[in-house]
Parts: sequence; structure tokens; C-alpha cells
Amino acid sequence: MIAKLTSSERQNALVLAVIVALAGAAMAILGRSDVLGVHGLIVMIFAGVVIYLIMASFYEPEPTEDREASYYDDPIKAGIVLAMVWAVFGMFMGVWVAAQLAWPDLAFDGAWSSFGRLRPTHTTGVIFGFGGNALIATSFHVVQRTSRARLAGQVSPWFVLLGFNLFCVLAVSGYLLGVTQSKEYAEAEWYADLWLVIVWVTYFILYIATIARRKEPHIYVANWYFMAFILVVAILHIVNNLALPVSWGHAKSYTIWPGVQDAMVQWWYGHNAVAFFLTAGFLGMLYYYLPVRAQRPIFSYRLSILSFWGITFFYMWAGSHHLHYTALPHWVQTLGMTFSVMLLVPSWASAGNALLTLNGAWHRVRDDATLRFMMAAAVFYGLSTFEGSFMAIRPVNALSHYTDWTVGHVHAGALGWVALITFGSLYTLVPVLWKRERMYSAALIEVHFWLAIAGTLIYVFAMWNSGIIQGLMWRTYTEEGALAYSFVDSLVAMYPYYIARAFGGLLFLIGAVVACYNIWMTVRAVPAAAPRATDIPATTVAVPGE
Amino acid sequence: MSDTVHRKLERSAIGFVIAIIAAASVGGIVEIAPLFTIDETVEQAPDMRVYTPLELAGRNIYVREGCYACHSQMIRTLRDEVERYGPFSLAVESQYDRPMLWGSKRTGPDLARIGGKYSDFWHVAHLNNPRDVVPESNMPAYAWLARTPLKTDDLSDHLAAQRALGVPYTDEMIENAARDAYGQATPDTDYAAGVTERYGEATQVSAFDGVTTKVTEMDALVAYLQVLGRLTDAAYRETAAAEEAPASQE
Amino acid sequence: MDISHDTLVAFSKSWGLFYLMAFFVCVVVYALWPSNRKRFDRAKHSILDRDDRPWQK
Repeated sequence: MIAKLTSSERQNALVLAVIVALAGAAMAILGRSDVLGVHGLIVMIFAGVVIYLIMASFYEPEPTEDREASYYDDPIKAGIVLAMVWAVFGMFMGVWVAAQLAWPDLAFDGAWSSFGRLRPTHTTGVIFGFGGNALIATSFHVVQRTSRARLAGQVSPWFVLLGFNLFCVLAVSGYLLGVTQSKEYAEAEWYADLWLVIVWVTYFILYIATIARRKEPHIYVANWYFMAFILVVAILHIVNNLALPVSWGHAKSYTIWPGVQDAMVQWWYGHNAVAFFLTAGFLGMLYYYLPVRAQRPIFSYRLSILSFWGITFFYMWAGSHHLHYTALPHWVQTLGMTFSVMLLVPSWASAGNALLTLNGAWHRVRDDATLRFMMAAAVFYGLSTFEGSFMAIRPVNALSHYTDWTVGHVHAGALGWVALITFGSLYTLVPVLWKRERMYSAALIEVHFWLAIAGTLIYVFAMWNSGIIQGLMWRTYTEEGALAYSFVDSLVAMYPYYIARAFGGLLFLIGAVVACYNIWMTVRAVPAAAPRATDIPATTVAVPGE
Repeated sequence: MSDTVHRKLERSAIGFVIAIIAAASVGGIVEIAPLFTIDETVEQAPDMRVYTPLELAGRNIYVREGCYACHSQMIRTLRDEVERYGPFSLAVESQYDRPMLWGSKRTGPDLARIGGKYSDFWHVAHLNNPRDVVPESNMPAYAWLARTPLKTDDLSDHLAAQRALGVPYTDEMIENAARDAYGQATPDTDYAAGVTERYGEATQVSAFDGVTTKVTEMDALVAYLQVLGRLTDAAYRETAAAEEAPASQE
Repeated sequence: MDISHDTLVAFSKSWGLFYLMAFFVCVVVYALWPSNRKRFDRAKHSILDRDDRPWQK
């Protein structure tokens, strides 16, 4: 990989890695016995490994071929591998915490292994580790192919990818050590957040600069979604994480937002993290990989534009539906509820657009499990956005809030939509990137599909049942007008569902392991595809682009 | 005309970026901006006190252990919640909370008004192994808290950071933070008097974990749990009735 | 600061709505503008072209 960089680029990469190592050293010195010091060491080790990799081929001959005549795929390959590693890690953590709810002794009396510390390792592992790496990898692929331009940087894609993974490592290791802001889905502390800002701004500039290289005036709609994802996540991340560290030597910080404002900012962030991280970015995947795999153009391009602006606009208003019947002002709750219901329109427009694209290619969906992954993802997207709008209605929320129903809803989206569209996209992308004829085993994709579907359905049905039972038990009265059940009564009723849920999650995890094996064997064992005519430059003397 | 505008907007990615920001930022601003002036409309609680250093340390342990993942601290305005947990939560009650710990999930019960409902002894036994006290519980055991000494030497820094953000800690409170943390968990020492002097007579000074020779993380966490819902009695003064939970009777 | 809570709330409730409607009109005009049809068609077919290298000047 380093061999494809010129010597000055290698130097730049080395300088960057050394700066990161020095920042780690500064953290270690300032933090001393605080956890910040431990994180300084982790940063130094991470940077050290990168420095070692650069130095190992620092003096190799420079690339001779014209790099502008080909796409930059190495960082994408690395991103896919990292996404799969995080998938297995994050889903394993999920199964473990799910099992702890049924069998609490699985924490083994450890501080680091108790539910409260493991739970964010699961959410960060799957959302940022798996989802984030998959988004970075596919966005790099889609932007190059749709713009017909190579990435606008040689070192920066690596900086973005590795920098993002350093953030994930700091976040996850921090939770285990007891470092957390307690803001859901933004638990990492101030120094990791600052680092992510630097990485994310680089990502944004790289993406914009690559789009600027395109020839066609129009930007393909998948890029719109990726751009909204990058841009809005930056805004959300910065506003939500504004905090004052206790001192430069402390990992601990206090958020600048107090009480009710913090609640609103947190859920404005939390809901829009779902919107722009877990929806917009993955819709970008959907709008590229689904038409490509089906070999049919998207059903309605205009509809995709309308739903893009609808989603970008409406989502931002919806966050307060997480705070119904709380101390948040009533009108803000009503606003959130109204926009949440309106959100259904652009959401279903996207889901319908995807399914109508497949209309006329149903035989392909039947035969090709990869395409079926994407079809199922669109269906789950439609279902879970409907459920989401429904649950945002105040009286429904009165029942569903604080219960497992919310957890079931989130997983209908996360497993059924986000993970399925990602697996479908990766199965499309892996043979293309590694220039293989096909995936190693179509049968294993089939196995993975059914494991994923079964796992998701078991999970979601278990949580629906437990959530609704829980919500109803909490509000049931006896004839004398007293509460009929104690809290513990409702907990006892949950145990069977918690066991079922852990089992559903386990199936999903096994599916992800199968996918890892299939991808590994594709790279190792499938013969290379015959070069296509277009692989050969049209003119013998190519002039480098821009 | 419109067409050329679009063409330009499309041509430059930057124009597109601005359009996305214009579309996406308004909703957040509209909902969040008025919250900065919300103190004009919400109830006042002049009697509300700040967390003592020991309680703040306990709160940080509560955050660190992710207790908020299973316990909310927000009683909604629904009849069954008010009857189960106490008066519904007011915005003012979390005015010093950074971060807020309203939570989003009740695998365990709400804790907004848990303070004073159980004895210190019960809390310590429960945290040591929840199933000793509640056999059906699925809560993790936190036995190691009682074995871990509380880090008190940097509590002054914590209070100072909180004050920089607007929490009314006095110089005296900041200066004596470590001593007060020790004093609140050791009722028989000279330090105990300083705590009630600075934080009010109602402050609970107690050997929370039953051991007075050292201050542990168990002391801090129990001190925090015992003050939940008791920083002000504003909620008990409010007369508004809880909303009827829809379709709840039967 | 002179801005009272009520002013802010009133502003949010009224202008938020106008903004929404204006925005919606702009998007619909853009999506349905006749001369954009050609480029949308080209865009939606472009990703299906078999192509494996960047464009060259």
C-alpha cells in the first residue's frame, strides 16, 4: 500500500503519524495516573504501528504508473476488512450484554464487564465501528465511480480511515476503563471527540474535492446522501459534545449544556445520528448498489431528490419525540411529534422507490441472495420508519417509551435496514474491488441471508412482546384503583423474551461470521476476473486528469 | 431564471453544501434556541442546593457505570408514573445536572425520587449483590465499589469546572471539596460539621457503607442515590395534576 | 438580552412554518423542472455504464 505513494507522500504520512504519536505522548504525560494517560499510551501504540508500516517500505521504489488513470481502491479494501472486524466485535458485545440481562452473573463480578460499561461498546462497535467503516469504504467507492474521478488525495483517505478507527478504539477502550460522557451514542470523551472533528473535517474536504473533479455537471443522488451524512454528522457531533474538561490532565469533562437543554441537545443529536448516520449514509449505499446489482436504473430519480430534501429537512425537527411527557416544554414535544409523522412521507418514498426499481426483476431477487439482502433492507426500512412515526405520537409513546419496544424498534432499523443493506452492498462490492468473478460461495450468502432474517425477526418480535407487556403492566390498575403490578413483577415477565432476544442476536452474529469467511475466501481462493475492455486506456498516452 | 440558479448550485459542490446546511440546521435552531430563555417560564426553586462533593463524585460513578442505560430519572406526567414514583419531574430539578441523566430505558425502575426511600444499609446490600435483596433482579452486582477507595484529591477541580459552567459553588466549597467528601461519610469526625455548614442542615451525613475508616466509591454512590429528588421540594409544591394515561384503566 | 422567551417561541412557530413551505416549493420546482429531466435520466443510467477507470482530459 505504501509502495503506491511517492516519496514526498510517504514523508507526509510519516510526519502525520509522528505528530499523532507526540499527541499521545502529551496525553500520557498530562494524564499520568488518570485514564487519560492510558489513552495516551494507546494513541502512541496505534501511531507506532502506523509508523512501522510506513517505514517498512519507506525506501521502496516509487510508483511508475499513472495513478490518475485508475481508481484508488486500497483504502476501500482496508475499510471493508475493518468494518467486518468491528461487526463481529460489536455484535458479539451485543449478544453478551443481551445474555447478561437474562443471566446477570455473566458479568463475572468485574468492573469492566458489567452491563453499563459493555453496552456502549456494543452500540459504538456496531454503529461507528461497523456502520462507520462501511460508510467510509462505500462512500469512497461510490464517489469515485459516480464522479469518474480518483479520490482527491493519496494520504488523506488513509488518514480518514485510520483516524476514524483510532477514535473507535479510544471510545470502546474508554468505556471499559470507565470513561464516558453518558450521552447516548456520543459517549466518547472530549479528547476523542476533538480528534474525530479533525478526522471528519478531512473526510469532508476530501469528499468535496473529489466531487469537484467530476466532468458531468450533475452530482449523482447517492453522493447527496453521503454529503448530507458527512456534513450534518459534523454539526451534530460538535454541538452535542461541547464540554469543559475538568483539567488538561483529566479524561473527565462536564458538558456545557445543563439539564433540560442537555436533554434536548442530546436527543436532537441522538435522533439525527439515526437520521444522518444510520439513514442518509445507508440510503447513499441503497441508491448506488441496488440499481447496480439489479442492473436497472432507479425507478424515479425525481422521487429520490424529493425524498432527499424531505429527509434532510424533516429529521432535524423530530428529536424531541424522545422526550414526550417530560419536563421539556409542551410545544417542543408537539413540534417533534408533527414532524416525526411527516417524516413518513420521504421515508416511504425512498423505500417505495427501491422496491419499484426491483419491479420486473423479481426473478433476480429470488435467485440472488445479495439482491435479496437489499430488497429486505428496503422493506425493513419502510416498516421501521412507519413504526418510528407511530411511536412518536404522544399517546403511543406514553406506552412505548422506557420499554423494550424502543429497543425492538431500533433493532428493526439497525439489523433489518442498516446491516442488511450493508451486507448486500459489501457482497456487491467485494468481487468488484478485488477483481474477482464472483463471491466465493453463493450458498453461504444464502445461509447468511436466512440467519440474518431469522435473527432479526426473533429479536424484534421478542422485544415487541416484552415492550408492550412491560408498558401495559406498568399502567394496569386493580379494581380498587391501585397499581396492579410492582416493577419486579414486570421484570419477571421479561425473562423469556430476554433469552429469545439473545438467541436472535446470536443468529445474526453467526451470519456476520459466515460473511467474514465468505469475503476472506473470495479474496484468497476465487480466480481473478478477466480484464474488461474498459480496463485498457483508450489512448496510449493518457494525460493525467487535473 | 430558476433553472440557472439550480445549474449553478449543482455545478459547485459548495453551493450544495450550503443548501444542505440551510435545510438541516433550521429545525434544530427552532427547537433549541428558545430553551436558552426557558428559565423565564419554568418554575423557580430558590431552596435548591448544589450537589456536595461526595454526591457529585457518586454521580460521576453513576455515569461511569452506565446506570442511566437501565434507570431513568424522569417521571413523566402520567398518572401511573406519579403513583409509582412520586410527583412528576420538573425542569428546574435538573438545572445543575451536567450531563442530564433522564435516561431512555427502564430495565430497572425510575430513580428520580429514590432518595430517602430505602436505608443506606439496603442500598449497600443491594449494590453488593442485588439478588440478596431482590431475588428476581437482573441488575449487575457492584461489590467492588466497596473495595475501591474514592479519589478525592481532585474534587476541587471538579467543583471549579462546574462553577465555570454556571453552578453556584462558592470559593469555600471548592477549597474544602476533598475534606467535605471525607466529612460527609464520617459523621464522627470534625470534618462532618463543615458539610452541613456549607450545604445545609438537611444534608445527609452518614457512614453510608457502614465503614468510617475510609471513604469508598460505595459511600459516594449511596450518598448520590440518597439525595436524588431531594435537592429541592419544588415538585411537591406544584399543584398540576398528572395527565391521565390514555387507555390505562381496566 | 432583550429577546424574551415568548418572542423566540413565536418566531419559531411562525417562521419555521413559512420556511418549510418555501423550501418545499423550491424542491418541487427543481425536481419537476422540465429541462432537468434529461440530466436526471442521464444520471440514473450513468451508474450502470461499464467503466473501470476515471475520465481523462
